[in-house]
Amino acid sequence: MSVGISRRQFLKLSTVSAALSACSPATKRIMQSIEPQVRPPEETLPGQPVWYASTCRMCPAGCGIIVRTVNGRAKKIEGNPVHPLNRGKLCARGQAGLQELYHPDRLQNAVRQSGGRGSRQFEPLYWDDALRELRERLQSSVPARIAFLGGIMPDSLHLLFNRWLDALGAPPPVMFDLLTTLDGRTTASQVATTLYGSSLLPVYDIGNANAIFSFGANLLEVWESPVAYGRAFGQFRQGQTGGRGFFVQFEPRLSATAALADEWIPIRPGTEGLVALALGRIIVEEGLAGAFGRAQADLYRQVEVGALAEASDVSAETIMRLATTLAQSDRPVAIPGGLPAGHSNGYQAHLAIHALNHILRRLGLPGGVFLTPPSPAETLPAAPPPDSYRNILSLAAKMRDGEVDLLLIHGANPLFELPAAAGFAEALARVPFIVSFSPFVDETAAHSDLILPDHTYLESWGYEVVTPGADRPTVSGQQPVVRPLYDTRSTASVLLDLAAEMGGAMVDYLPWSDETLFLEDSAGVLFGSSLSAYGARTPGEFWAKWQQFGGWWSERELYEEPDVVGFEAQRPLEIVGPTYEGDATTYPYHLHLYPTVGLGDGRTGHLPWLQELPETMSTARWQTWVELNPQTAHRLGVENNDVVKVISPYGELEAAVVVFPGIRPDVVGIPVGQGHQDYGRYAARRGKNPMTLLAPTTDHNTGALAWGATRVRLEPTGQTYTLARLESLDGEGRERIR
Amino acid sequence: MSLSKLTTQRRQTVWRFALVLLVVVVGVGIGIFVTRARLQAAPEQPLPYSHRTHVEAGIECLYCHAQAPRSPIAGIPSVERCMGCHANMATDDEGVQRLADYWERGEPIPWVRVDKQPDFVYFSHQPHLGAGINCETCHGNVAAMDETRPVLRMDMGWCLKCHTDQEPEHVARLADCVACHK
Repeated sequence: MSVGISRRQFLKLSTVSAALSACSPATKRIMQSIEPQVRPPEETLPGQPVWYASTCRMCPAGCGIIVRTVNGRAKKIEGNPVHPLNRGKLCARGQAGLQELYHPDRLQNAVRQSGGRGSRQFEPLYWDDALRELRERLQSSVPARIAFLGGIMPDSLHLLFNRWLDALGAPPPVMFDLLTTLDGRTTASQVATTLYGSSLLPVYDIGNANAIFSFGANLLEVWESPVAYGRAFGQFRQGQTGGRGFFVQFEPRLSATAALADEWIPIRPGTEGLVALALGRIIVEEGLAGAFGRAQADLYRQVEVGALAEASDVSAETIMRLATTLAQSDRPVAIPGGLPAGHSNGYQAHLAIHALNHILRRLGLPGGVFLTPPSPAETLPAAPPPDSYRNILSLAAKMRDGEVDLLLIHGANPLFELPAAAGFAEALARVPFIVSFSPFVDETAAHSDLILPDHTYLESWGYEVVTPGADRPTVSGQQPVVRPLYDTRSTASVLLDLAAEMGGAMVDYLPWSDETLFLEDSAGVLFGSSLSAYGARTPGEFWAKWQQFGGWWSERELYEEPDVVGFEAQRPLEIVGPTYEGDATTYPYHLHLYPTVGLGDGRTGHLPWLQELPETMSTARWQTWVELNPQTAHRLGVENNDVVKVISPYGELEAAVVVFPGIRPDVVGIPVGQGHQDYGRYAARRGKNPMTLLAPTTDHNTGALAWGATRVRLEPTGQTYTLARLESLDGEGRERIR
Repeated sequence: MSLSKLTTQRRQTVWRFALVLLVVVVGVGIGIFVTRARLQAAPEQPLPYSHRTHVEAGIECLYCHAQAPRSPIAGIPSVERCMGCHANMATDDEGVQRLADYWERGEPIPWVRVDKQPDFVYFSHQPHLGAGINCETCHGNVAAMDETRPVLRMDMGWCLKCHTDQEPEHVARLADCVACHK
């Protein structure tokens, strides 16, 4: 009998079914490798996370972090919940620190540039050879002709460098970085010295305030200590003060902070101080601040509200209304930010804004102004405020004149961070020998002879006196959370090793054989302090607790009240308007540079997580763009993604346009942070560095770089470049629906 | 005539259907057999490591998988631990020489995992060893294997069989969903 299925069909069918069932995903073995470590850390249990408390070094704020490690590998960074500055919170930059540790383009050993400076041909060196070479250079140089340029570094390392240079007989370190320049720290600390007799940075207690008048302080994104201010802003809004509070932001561009404010006043760049003077004049004149305020009237003797209103492009009625609001609030505070400090009148602007706090009696009161608490121990000093731009120029001049034989650079990247017009590149070329301690080949390291890479911060020791401060004296401790991944060496131990080998005075100044002994000695002074947040019976226990807690801080709040000593000398307050570089007819627009929440001043441009992070307002990323008001864009005949040429008296660049209604029509906004030539695969050759446009002018009172004082003109190029943006807006601020 | 023809046709259809079904069943059967065999086979490892040789040399499980009583995972010995002996022992063996190459290069050995619980299962060696369970209860007689392969399927039924077979006062806790699915 035939049943219509042949032998061949039978076999075919069975094979297919067998093959199908064998391929079923439910039964497939997933090949998974399980890699043991080559040399495991003794103290870890596999699969069992270990958390280490340390300090974030992605910006100079000094937030406490705890890092989750599994099998000796760092997996996740979180804020340290007991740390007084950030109370468990952490920003995007802090989170991205892991990518610095695991970055594929980190230097893995000491190198010498074999093809000459700038050739980027590196030849690996044994550390012994590298250190011998450095020692010979040090010993053969005249100490006065050795220079050290530092950037953002732990206070512990600053202290060691200071002592080391002192023992050598070399000049003290020169410290400069763009991030604190954009914060206006030089100006802030000099104004604090003038008014309060102390260079400690002022701290604004916005959490307990009920009215905030922020003059160009982008305190929720990047300014000084954004995590601490962000947390305090939450307190301010959530009714600690009996309401949601009133927040006014004076700024030419709508930053995320301005967007969260109740009122955004787009003033003319550099006129923050003038507005503050006009507000103060109205308050004292109308008697809004009582008898004390009236007694301060001579501060404002020369102020004419009408003229200042016109200069700042804010109507006299608005100033009048805001002055009333400010004076009638219970606990108002006025904050001088980074923007006013970036103009030729930065010093006077900060003085005028502090004067508002003075006439309203907001100094040293809850919700008002305090100073950063000083270091609790003499052995743990905070690094002094960074040097002004003027001091960098004098170092550059010395280098150009051939007065520097050996230049050491740690944590600074002047070739990227200084205006091209400062001429640092030519000055560098005149120095016979340059040693960089950068863990990455950045622009300046690429022009060094020798790179002795430091560990990244997750592999390093240190401490940081939190600046600007928390609500109590705080020293944040830094400890390695993993073993160093590569054959890098901590710069602190390089200094101690060199001192030990060179002997003599060096050993007397730096008697520690190891950096942990130095730290243990320095921190140990706080053992037995009655203020301490934790107890310890022995110095050993104290040192263990220091590491468990992530540093030392006072158990109770302890504010540093400013001593009001300097206002007498300021009567009357000087009225100084901003001056700009580039005449208004040829260069009709103000150049407004701003650090972004992800890249800051560009020091985190090498991390892809942060490149991917959209700038808060434009939602653009991975590139440089030019923000134009819709009116300006219309006048130029350009739209989103059209490339324009931005020309200043000092340089030019091309970038795509973002049409942004949140910027004044006479202002051109460009984010800083891109345009690296080097610095690893994610940063190099991406975007443009707007520092090339800047005029090298300063505020003559402080020597700070007037980075907001350059004017530019715009030329459409006819080309387009499509920016990667999270949102597409139609130029009127509305989302485009496709 | 038409009736008998119809009946014959229907009979043929039924036959054909039954045969196809039989063929599929046989095929799936073979498939499952092949799959099971493959699942139970020893995966190919980067180095020819034999548990038998090491156990015969008198080495305890916990000498290499030292963390099992203290941690969720038993752990694979570090290259350093292997070299603790093999710096001097069996150095003429080709596998050991390749081990030494990993050590020289400072590279971890990419062993292939043999037993694995899915991600939604929270399994820890620590309580199991603490309860006095031997390694071979779950891993089979590894001591006799030249190539390590999984012996038991380690599915939920198998876990529960043991968990429900305990002292009555522990069963409620051990059979609770969240005992393993946290």
